[in-house]
Amino acid sequence: MAVETASRGPAAETGETVEGGEPSFRPSPIGWLARGIVWAAIAWLVLIFPLGREAFELQRYSEAVIFGIIGLSLNVLLGYVGQISLGHQAFVGIGAFTSAYIVTEQNLSFWVGVAAAVAVGGLQALVLGGVSLRITGLYFAMVTLAYGLVAEKNIFQIQELTGGGLGQPAPKPKGFESDFRYYYLCLVFLAIVLWVDWRMMRTKSGRALLALRENPRVASTFGVNVRLLTLFAFVVSGAFAGLGGALLAHNDTRVSPETWSFNLALIFVIMTVVGGLRSRAGVVIGSAFFALIGYLLDKFTILQDGLNAIPGAPDLSPEIARLVIGPVLLLLTLTLTPGGIGQQIRPIVRWLTGHRFDLKDRGLKEVQISDVRA
Amino acid sequence: MDRLRERQGQVITAAVITLLVLVLLATGEKESLVIGVITGSAYGFLALGLVLIYKSSGVFNFAQGEFGTVAVYTLYLLHFDVPYGFALLGALGVAVLMGVVVERLVVRPLFDAPRVTLLVATAGVALLSIAVQIWFGEATARPVGRALPTLDRFTVLGVQISDQRLLLLGALAILAGLLAWFFNKTNLGLAILGSSQEPTATELMGISVKRLSTIVWALAALLGGLAGVLAVPETGGFAPGVLTVAFLIPAFTAAVLGGMTSLPGAFLGGVIVGVVEAVATSAPIFEDIPGSPGTLLVFVVLLIVLVARPQGLLGKAG
Repeated sequence: MAVETASRGPAAETGETVEGGEPSFRPSPIGWLARGIVWAAIAWLVLIFPLGREAFELQRYSEAVIFGIIGLSLNVLLGYVGQISLGHQAFVGIGAFTSAYIVTEQNLSFWVGVAAAVAVGGLQALVLGGVSLRITGLYFAMVTLAYGLVAEKNIFQIQELTGGGLGQPAPKPKGFESDFRYYYLCLVFLAIVLWVDWRMMRTKSGRALLALRENPRVASTFGVNVRLLTLFAFVVSGAFAGLGGALLAHNDTRVSPETWSFNLALIFVIMTVVGGLRSRAGVVIGSAFFALIGYLLDKFTILQDGLNAIPGAPDLSPEIARLVIGPVLLLLTLTLTPGGIGQQIRPIVRWLTGHRFDLKDRGLKEVQISDVRA
Repeated sequence: MDRLRERQGQVITAAVITLLVLVLLATGEKESLVIGVITGSAYGFLALGLVLIYKSSGVFNFAQGEFGTVAVYTLYLLHFDVPYGFALLGALGVAVLMGVVVERLVVRPLFDAPRVTLLVATAGVALLSIAVQIWFGEATARPVGRALPTLDRFTVLGVQISDQRLLLLGALAILAGLLAWFFNKTNLGLAILGSSQEPTATELMGISVKRLSTIVWALAALLGGLAGVLAVPETGGFAPGVLTVAFLIPAFTAAVLGGMTSLPGAFLGGVIVGVVEAVATSAPIFEDIPGSPGTLLVFVVLLIVLVARPQGLLGKAG
């Protein structure tokens, strides 16, 4: 059963509805054309549109892509196993400093820096998770929160690592000095993370992860090693976060300790939840949105005009805008549409992948316990 | 069996405290003891509110610190224009109002959601509150008046303590006692406990669980507000989110240390965390730790407690 599910691809996931309702739906040639046009439009937006933009704009776009990676990193933990990390800024920040330190102080190449950041991210998660993952849920959230504070108050105070108050320089890699080349590099990394994430969830362990989120006790009676798998997810999440940090460092070409505050950790959580847990497309869109919020505010002044109508409110600077808008969206998402953006765009995503357009198809994928039977 | 477990907790608590005091006296860190107890009482104050909400609805309330910050902010805005006493009342009123609003708009719609979802939601409330403070005010520290303008100082074990600190400590001890009485003896307190353990059965007894939830959040917000207006003026000034940034983690550690459901435990935990932090800051052996050693030590304490005795010092297992 398990192997079968894996080999049949996306259609098998929704189970009965697809099999029973419309087993042989094939889009008409016009349908394919329409889908092709939409795909091309998306490709144009992601690949061609940024070409020839100014450097500071490209840096924002790269940041949006990198935030996508960070969002996916949290999605592994929060979406797949249902554990929450409120200290993810520590993983991202330490990844950033690791890569900057290796490139600037050790004179090694960017690729070594990125690899080290990924390794350090995973290792951190392994150690922290190894010690603390016997406790889960609320208490685990506490531990990660406290760890984030330790990173802020202790680790980022180590002068050699962070380069002191001015921060550590992190030059762009050879061959990717220009901002648009670096943007494409970030896209490639995002694609790799998406691919790894997708493959991981296709394995038996991946489905076991989902099962243990649904009900750890039932999952463990089916032979799932709950603690080990949770730790595994945490390590993957930490590695992704380290990668995101390294890319962020070289995008800004300088990392400073003040960036990695508790507020940022909350923004990471918020963008993942608003994006929609367990929906890769949703998470990436949500994360990119939060990275671009300030930029969008500058670009489209309509929101700013609306806010000016509130009496007595000072101007909303882009940095604060993220902090104000984020929680509002989060609370709306949690109380109204728990599936976030991913839930809203699901009909479109289904349609784009060659299924019938069904506006009512908002159902979140639920994994069957029997899918992971050992 | 239950009694044995309780007694075990008390024995461990007594041992930990004796050990801590002995080490402090032996190493000549008497000052740390006094300073720690005083700072710890502020942590304990915040921890009381955390425990209260956890006891009744099983939520880790990350907005608890913000109840205090909002109260301090209101106090700051009011205390130029109206007598201090009224400003204080206004500040506490705003905190309670915030508690009720949060309960109505955030907690109630998520009544049946997983507890982790609620945790994320309260963290969102905290961030929103901080963001609005930065937006309307500035991200700078500002001074706020004290409840006791007298500035009397007392000397305990060679350390000077202001009268406001003693007021804080006294208020905390009294409140911890009052709350313990409230939960053990009054009908309302017992109803709140019942609603946390058996919501359905409580409903069947003719008690509205939802109304209880509102009362609990208002009460917790009042405690958070009190913690803010009593503790913050002593630190000289406040910036947006001051209680969340500086107090929330130690307060959570205190609550976990005390067992998360025990009110006296929260008080005790706060004091222990305060002492640990004070020692870490002043003792020479921790000098080599970069940044603030207190944060690291509190984290280590939290990890040890969670791994070795997850039910805390005075909490019940299970």
